[in-house]
Amino acid sequence: MRFKDLQFLLVVIFLFTGCREPFEPEIENVQGGVLVVEGYLDSNGLESVLSISRTAPISGTESNIPEPGALISLIADSGELYKLTELKDGKYLFQLDIPENQSYRLEILLRNGEKYFSDPIKPIITPDILDAGYIRDEEGVEVYVNTQGNEVADDFLWTYEETWIFRPVIRTPYIYRNDTKVVELRKEEEQIALCYKSETNPDLLLETSSRFEDQVVFRQTITEIPQGDERIMERYSILISQKAIDQQAVEFWETLKRNTDDIGSIFSPLPSVISGNLHLEGDDEQPVVGFVSLGVIKQTRIYIDQKDVFPWTFNDPEFDDCSISIEPIYIGSSQYFSDFGTGAVLPARELMEGTTIVAYYSSTRRCSDCTLYANRGKPDFWED
Amino acid sequence: MKIHLLTFLFFISFSAVSFSQNQDQPKINGFFPGISLERFFEQVEENTPYRFYYIEQKISSITVNLQASDSKLSDLLDAVFQGTDFHYSFGADNAVFISKGKKLQVSLSDDFFSNVGNAGSGSSGQVDDAFVRNNRFIIGQSSPDKKTAILSGTISSLENQEIITGAIVFEKIDFTRTISDREGKYSIELPVGRHTIYIQNLGGYIEQRLIDLRGDGVLDMAIGESIYSLSEVVVNSGSINQISRPEMGVQTLTVSEMRKLPAILGEVDVLKGILVLPGVNTVGEASVGFNVRGGASDQNLVLFENSTLFNPSHLFGFFSAINADMIESVELMKAGIPANYGGRLSSVLQMKPKFGRTDKIGGSGGIGLLTSRLSLEGPIGEKTTFIAGGRTTYSDWVLDYLEDNADFNASRASFYDLNLNVRHKFSEKDILEFTGYYSQDQFQFDPDTVYSYQNQNYALKWTHYFNDQLEASFSAGKDKYDFQILGEDNPLNSYEFGFGLDQNFVKAEFRQEKGFRHVLKYGVHLNQITLNPGLITPYGAESIVIRDEVEQESALETSIFISDEFEINDKWFVSGGIRYNLYNYFGPQTTFVYPEGQPTTNENVIGEKTSEDGEIIKTYHGPEFRFSGRYSLNNQSSIKAGVNSMRQNMHLLSNSSVISPTDTWKLSDEFIAPQTGIQYSLGYFRNMAQNQLEFSTEVYYRSMRNLLDYRSGATIILNDDVEQDVLNTNGKAYGVEFFLKKSAGKLNGSVSYTYARSLYQTNSSEQKEQINEGTEYPSNFDQPHHAVLVMNYEVSKRFNATFSGNYSTGRPITLPVSKFVYAGSERVYYSDRNAQRVPDYFRLDFSINLEGNHKVNKLAHSSWSMGIYNVLGRSNPYSIYYTPEEGVLRGYQLSIFAEPIPFITYNFRF
Repeated sequence: MRFKDLQFLLVVIFLFTGCREPFEPEIENVQGGVLVVEGYLDSNGLESVLSISRTAPISGTESNIPEPGALISLIADSGELYKLTELKDGKYLFQLDIPENQSYRLEILLRNGEKYFSDPIKPIITPDILDAGYIRDEEGVEVYVNTQGNEVADDFLWTYEETWIFRPVIRTPYIYRNDTKVVELRKEEEQIALCYKSETNPDLLLETSSRFEDQVVFRQTITEIPQGDERIMERYSILISQKAIDQQAVEFWETLKRNTDDIGSIFSPLPSVISGNLHLEGDDEQPVVGFVSLGVIKQTRIYIDQKDVFPWTFNDPEFDDCSISIEPIYIGSSQYFSDFGTGAVLPARELMEGTTIVAYYSSTRRCSDCTLYANRGKPDFWED
Repeated sequence: MKIHLLTFLFFISFSAVSFSQNQDQPKINGFFPGISLERFFEQVEENTPYRFYYIEQKISSITVNLQASDSKLSDLLDAVFQGTDFHYSFGADNAVFISKGKKLQVSLSDDFFSNVGNAGSGSSGQVDDAFVRNNRFIIGQSSPDKKTAILSGTISSLENQEIITGAIVFEKIDFTRTISDREGKYSIELPVGRHTIYIQNLGGYIEQRLIDLRGDGVLDMAIGESIYSLSEVVVNSGSINQISRPEMGVQTLTVSEMRKLPAILGEVDVLKGILVLPGVNTVGEASVGFNVRGGASDQNLVLFENSTLFNPSHLFGFFSAINADMIESVELMKAGIPANYGGRLSSVLQMKPKFGRTDKIGGSGGIGLLTSRLSLEGPIGEKTTFIAGGRTTYSDWVLDYLEDNADFNASRASFYDLNLNVRHKFSEKDILEFTGYYSQDQFQFDPDTVYSYQNQNYALKWTHYFNDQLEASFSAGKDKYDFQILGEDNPLNSYEFGFGLDQNFVKAEFRQEKGFRHVLKYGVHLNQITLNPGLITPYGAESIVIRDEVEQESALETSIFISDEFEINDKWFVSGGIRYNLYNYFGPQTTFVYPEGQPTTNENVIGEKTSEDGEIIKTYHGPEFRFSGRYSLNNQSSIKAGVNSMRQNMHLLSNSSVISPTDTWKLSDEFIAPQTGIQYSLGYFRNMAQNQLEFSTEVYYRSMRNLLDYRSGATIILNDDVEQDVLNTNGKAYGVEFFLKKSAGKLNGSVSYTYARSLYQTNSSEQKEQINEGTEYPSNFDQPHHAVLVMNYEVSKRFNATFSGNYSTGRPITLPVSKFVYAGSERVYYSDRNAQRVPDYFRLDFSINLEGNHKVNKLAHSSWSMGIYNVLGRSNPYSIYYTPEEGVLRGYQLSIFAEPIPFITYNFRF
């Protein structure tokens, strides 16, 4: 069941008069910030990251302040101790297969000597994703999963990462070399016509399986891709992570979600104080944001090709002005050196006289270089 | 016309005039040789008790030439006036009136007393009206040992014979006064002797009657309402009332006063009108929920006669639920709540229904940009009157228009409401009244989810007059409120969610006058409440949603009350009452069991307990005290004080600060105790400039217990164990209110200023969570400064302009103080609860009302009301929020009416 954001009503009725304006209140900045801990640690050896940071002033430019140099360990009831290894920027790696029949406590010792610990955490083995797929309709594409809960895994949290092929409007095989002042074909590692764009989505998807018959969560919407969206311009991939969480974690995530999604509409609930399952040793009143869970994460990846959802035409108005120049730029002309030399204009197509290239038609870099918008390297997981 | 009253002359006339006393008529002797008539009168006056009344210029042409010997004056005057157009007549005390053309009528006509009787039925119209105004009525039989006597009677309207309620009857020497009651009856005790009785009619139109009070007697008065009023404008100036009544914090606003306020979208709004009163705030423009003296919006008892309205709004509060045409007046009691009302902590809003005119079938209506209304009223036979009305919206065209301009799809909003009020008068002693109300709202933002809610109220009231001293009313009725949400987002997940509340009530109320100093009121009030807190069912054949229902709750509230108004003397007037409330919460119910003394959290559940059908699970009971007193400093000013304690057994569960259609009610149960509160108030009331200016100031302090605030992340819908999510909270509120009102004159209006605080604190025994570490924090509706100005200028009787201004401190909100990244997005970390405020609120409105011409026999009377809401176009932020946009957190303020909104409505009556 979803209660739609009631803010719509307001906007609908009073659009012609109602208004939304930027607002910057004067708020005294909180000293030091509050510790923020995030992580779902996989107990089955899947690489998982715990990140530790502090809250940043609301008016500042940085979003958070990473907390490096902490010593973090997971301590089982049986006394066994598993250490996390520090990566960079306050990130810590956990990649161990640990028994799921134990209860664990997370301990964090900060550089400043503050010691934080978590409530006991019981790993939950997430049931498999029964099926993941998509539905094509006139609105676009809806990606869904089906799953089934069980006695220990009732509540689910889904997160997803999307990756897709990004192509520039004008593809060019040529490169102008500034040192030799010669136009050549691009090498594989220099190509700018095929990129991969990735996004970790901040959406929080929660569902309780016991609301449904036999605990079957049927067609849980993961994301909706509107018709003609950039993401399916050629080939799109989504990695869906399914995590079973306990009741306390649900409360945390719902509070987080509510604080983010719903604030500001007339009918919004009161914002909630967010905490979690971590505490500062010796001071229970000290707020700590974050809920650390343990368990087996279940993941599935699906691909959608543009031809699967045909017709799907991506058209970005930002590139409407992109075209190959009508006038060619002759090799050796002063325009040849000046235009291509800056890098703002790229040789796009050749002009042949007989079997010799004498000039190049050009295009601007912003229309031809996908690396301006995405990454060139093919991700490791990518299947063509 | 100049009337010359002759004075005594102390000179002896040169004429030899002798005078002999006769039992019947003084005889006149003397010789009057060609003297002027004036001179003749002077001489007669010297020697006889006769006194002449005449117009000097008119008689200057007449000379007197005669010899009188033991003559009667009448014979002499016959001789003098022979052949002229002059006449004379004899009045009381030997007065002689000389008139030209027509003989002056000086004695009462034989049918005089039947005329007085007729004034009640109004058959003879204006002649009677002028006649009764200048006539001295002799009331009662005199008896030597009687110093005072009682004058009583009924006040009715000259135009349509309807009884007039709330008219003030007073005399101006000692300022003894009384007010006509619901049946138009009044009774006043005055010293024996001559008096001028004034009847302050509605709208400040004062009538007078001359009386010679000799003993107890009856004087029924039919008084005129100004033709301008078209009998729809009923303005109760209440100026003397305010000074003399013992209660404080009681404000009456008539529908006509509301009509003059600029309304949103041209609709006269009953509930918005009370927001001009001091001590009444709202947290947002689009909310009908209002806050009285630091109380929550669910702490107001909104009554339509005796029926409770649980959701008094349409369209999320853009319109209030009751059609203003169906209402006589609205009374808001912020303090000094009489003992016959109970069940809510903050205030009682009493809407008095109209029952239709008695003279003929008529109607009224209005056509506006978004809504229209129509009502019909009149008599059915001799003894029955009715009024029926309906209202509907056609706002969809606005939504359609918007859809063309924005990508909203399938937004729909509609509402309608129906009213029927019927009054049947069996006899002078028995009146039966029926009030019925039904409203339906439905709206959706997208094609998938439809919200709807209904109010239903039916009530029957029988009033019986045992005698002049004792009357009783017996009411019974049913109040229903339901809401539904239908979600069809996906055939598999389609659901229907419903909430329902059913209340049946029986109320018996007696009013008894004991002598002239006591008015006793007593009675019993039973309220049976059944609540369906939530039910979700699959919708459609494909749906796999599991039916889930929160168990039905039921309870019985029994209250007995008694109160006495005691006018100790001219200076002191006190009223006191006690209401005893017994609350029983019934099974069947299955509840969790928590260990004694442990917080009611999910972790602490140690078992389940099932109660049988009809079994009393929990009983709460307690007294409520209502005391108020007035001390008159003089005729123009008084001091009042009051103490009020209240209990509330129902709680509105809402995580938001305004009433929204997904808020559900909850009955007090074994974990959630009734809310209680006590208010102390002190006030000073003063009238100035012949009661044209009313000034009042009140200070108050309230403390409240067992209020509900919510744990972080509380869920309300479909929550079987609300006790786990609510926090026992104490509240206190205090403030000072100033109110100045000018009710008469071309320029009238009011200005009010309130300084008030409303603070909450989690009860220290609450173990689940202590909001803001257990310190005091402002409630959601803590708005310390609030000022309202209303100015109305009557350019002419047909054209008036109103200007109003509204200022208040911004409401408290919880704002983010820092940010962090979590789950791939920037998130906000909130400050302590309600530690910040939205910017201050300020708005100016302007409206004009144009009445059509006032020919009485016109087919329909019409008026236009138009104006501009928010003239300055100021964007008053309703809300502040932060939202991640492309990974960056941005703060926004949201305003509802950020631009000047013009409106126009055409109103008519026939």
